[in-house]
Amino acid sequence: MKSKIGIAVVLLVVVVLALFLPNFGGRYYTQIFVQVLINIMLAASLRPSLLCGQLNIGHSAFMAIGAYASALLAKNLGLPFELSLLFGGALSAAVGLIMGYPSLRLRGVYFAMVTVSFVEVIRLIAQLWVSLTRGMSGLSGIPKPSLLGMVLTTKASQYYLALGLLVIILLILYRLEYSRLGLIWKSIGMADNLSQSLGINVANYKLLAFTLGCFFAGVAGAYYASFFRFLFPPEFSFLLSVNILVYNFVGGRGHFIGPIVGAAFLTLLVEPFRGSAYETIFFSIAMLLTILFLPGGLITLPGKLAGLWSGSTGSAPATSAAT
Amino acid sequence: MTFELFVQSAIIGLSIGAIYILMALGLTLMFGMMHIINFAHGAVYMLGAFVIYYFFHLWGIPYSLAFFIAMILLGLFGFGVERFIYRTVKGNIEPTLVALLALTTLLQAAGYPVFGPLDKNVPSVFRGNYIIFGTPISAERLMIIPVAAVLVVALYLFINKTKMGAAMRSIEQDKEAAALQGVNVNVVNAMAFAVGFSLAAAAGALIAPIFKLDPMMGEQPLLKAFIIIILGGLGSIPGAILGGLILGFIDSVVATAVGVELAFLLSFVFIILLLLFKPNGLFGYEV
Repeated sequence: MKSKIGIAVVLLVVVVLALFLPNFGGRYYTQIFVQVLINIMLAASLRPSLLCGQLNIGHSAFMAIGAYASALLAKNLGLPFELSLLFGGALSAAVGLIMGYPSLRLRGVYFAMVTVSFVEVIRLIAQLWVSLTRGMSGLSGIPKPSLLGMVLTTKASQYYLALGLLVIILLILYRLEYSRLGLIWKSIGMADNLSQSLGINVANYKLLAFTLGCFFAGVAGAYYASFFRFLFPPEFSFLLSVNILVYNFVGGRGHFIGPIVGAAFLTLLVEPFRGSAYETIFFSIAMLLTILFLPGGLITLPGKLAGLWSGSTGSAPATSAAT
Repeated sequence: MTFELFVQSAIIGLSIGAIYILMALGLTLMFGMMHIINFAHGAVYMLGAFVIYYFFHLWGIPYSLAFFIAMILLGLFGFGVERFIYRTVKGNIEPTLVALLALTTLLQAAGYPVFGPLDKNVPSVFRGNYIIFGTPISAERLMIIPVAAVLVVALYLFINKTKMGAAMRSIEQDKEAAALQGVNVNVVNAMAFAVGFSLAAAAGALIAPIFKLDPMMGEQPLLKAFIIIILGGLGSIPGAILGGLILGFIDSVVATAVGVELAFLLSFVFIILLLLFKPNGLFGYEV
């Protein structure tokens, strides 16, 4: 009961903060908060794959597909934002389906290696298909996001759009994770042989989790394109994919809230170093320390501290791997 | 494509393939025993090249000696990674992989402040050209092939003829049974890390006089090594060698014909098709 009140208070604070953030600081801060929201979308959309025990290290590639597809549709064909967003996500999901089908039938490591190579493939295509993507000159002049025909010109209104989008994505992912489907994913993550023996079509459920993640990564990419209005192939590198994984692991994989905490915490923490080598150094050290000393991620930290405080050795409730 | 150009690119392909094979052998050895993919392999290759830059180019130690120093130093680093990362999260493949990823990005990013932002060059060691079938091939590219061949044979003898090699093969077959027979699994795993790391260091040390050195230089060979071991089948040493030769050929002959980037895209498409029809690779087994 006490913890429920605590959760409600934390949620309330987060909601109020999220709603009033653009009022604090100027455009620069709004931009950082939008970056936080985008990173949460990416991190949360990787979670279904991780639940099935699939290490997807290619998420930035799917973000890139969504970003380029929606940007080109909006810019060249004048498609409204909502449609180009959906098309971006759908194309990303379709590519994920084509790539996931052969590689997901195998053990996780094959899949991990294929996804790593895939990042490079997408980056090269974005770089080489100059007539479509402008290659290394970067794609600029992407239309601003719009809603029901109204163009959102201020950064604050675009922030609220991202917030709305994030809430929708999180609600969908939450409902799925706490449904029968989520249970199946978790059972595959714990023991895929056993799940198969119970009549679960493991390959199809893995493919579903992966494709769903690709769809939302594409949507996040589409929003990214319309907010920053500039796309540059090296942005969607292997490093970004690793960061998305890092958000999940540092935040904690034991609970739905994990990637949200991880993405928000790390994005804000490394903001002063953004663009320099120290950003990655910082990230990597945070990652190594978490894996070695706090395997459950940041979300288990309050429980551990409370355990230390009361002198008991009881571990946090959310430590177990895939609950 | 003329005959001369073909011969030249085929021999260069063989030398590139030899580098890929050295990378892939360590990866496949470690996978066979521990079922992990060492994502840090590219960073180790980069460090091997930088050991040559410091010891040979800056401090004037003979190249052959610097080559062994690179292998030994990074072999020791492999022991350390096994002890402090692999053993700490043992039993969990996923966190191990992510920790190795983090180690990779850490080493790459730390390379910029440590080595400086500019690309480095190491002067050539073997000067001059050899004329083969009427086409000149640079000596330093040609030298890669015998050195790599010696290392491959040495690895083969180590795995098949020594007691440590037998212990490695026993762990590959069944870890628990090996432990029951008195094999110290931790020590043998550490040895596999060391061997894999020093092979990657050797690959980096061989390439140092030929390519520019920068902290990200290991990424491309790592991706190529991934494609090779998927092609050859995870855990298979003959598969890694054959896969390395095929990819070296694609990288050189096909790249000369259609361009480097397109050659990479083609090899990726090839891998996806291979996984569709022969999911365990050319020599792979069910894992």
